[in-house]
Amino acid sequence: MTDLAAITALGESAPFRAEIGALTLIENSNLALASLSVPRGQNVPMIFEMTLPEVGQWQAGADISAFWTAPNQWIIEGHNRANEDFAELVKRAAPDCCVTEQTDGWVAFDIFSNDGSKPIADLLEKLVNIDVNALKTGTAVRTGLHHMSVYLIRRRDEQITIVGMRSLAGALCHALETAAMRLR
Amino acid sequence: MLIPHPLLGLRDAQEFTYLGDASLLNRPDAASGDASNAFNDYVFLRDNPAGLHRELWYHEQGDRSWLIVTRNTVTHEVLGAELARDYILKAELPA
Repeated sequence: MTDLAAITALGESAPFRAEIGALTLIENSNLALASLSVPRGQNVPMIFEMTLPEVGQWQAGADISAFWTAPNQWIIEGHNRANEDFAELVKRAAPDCCVTEQTDGWVAFDIFSNDGSKPIADLLEKLVNIDVNALKTGTAVRTGLHHMSVYLIRRRDEQITIVGMRSLAGALCHALETAAMRLR
Repeated sequence: MLIPHPLLGLRDAQEFTYLGDASLLNRPDAASGDASNAFNDYVFLRDNPAGLHRELWYHEQGDRSWLIVTRNTVTHEVLGAELARDYILKAELPA
């Protein structure tokens, strides 16, 4: 049988990682994503014993979390589940909802600060035209970054995840890395 | 320019794309006898007001919703925005 080796969104054998000043950028290639939308007129279900978050919010969870993307639509995140059929798992948990696999459509970069929230705020102010002060822990927004569409998920004061389109992974990584370097 | 998204608050107009007059939501009935005239008007005729204008904006780099934005075409002041979905659902309710 052909010996196939998995590659990351950036075409490498190992996820991207860079330590720049107070910030650490790590490509999270183990994040599974599935979108879930609730048909009009149906009640919003609990997923894996989790209440789906309100508008603009992210619901934390150790293994599975979720963020709001549009009215009656969420993206469910499976941490360290990128090698599983995650959409099938979500569909079984919410059989009346519409579920689509999203894992291979996106690239996720986790950005950690070792100096509180300020380096992350400084980085975002260079990159996105949103109110950084309003992007508190537990919020998730979609916006434009260098003309690319990205989700910003504020997981902690010292951590933000930027999820962008996989086909633009190289450009997004370059934009993040360059902006981080200019903060030094 | 900032657009007051009904769900997400003030958002940069660069996140949106513009379609045109909100009257595009009122698509004529293709089955009616006068459909060809009605579609001619629907496709080609637009008001071009100097002042208040209701127009469709798509939140492409956001929640992908269609908004009806009320804007003053003279001053570019944005006076409000509602979800086009809410407008349509209200219109579908029996009188």
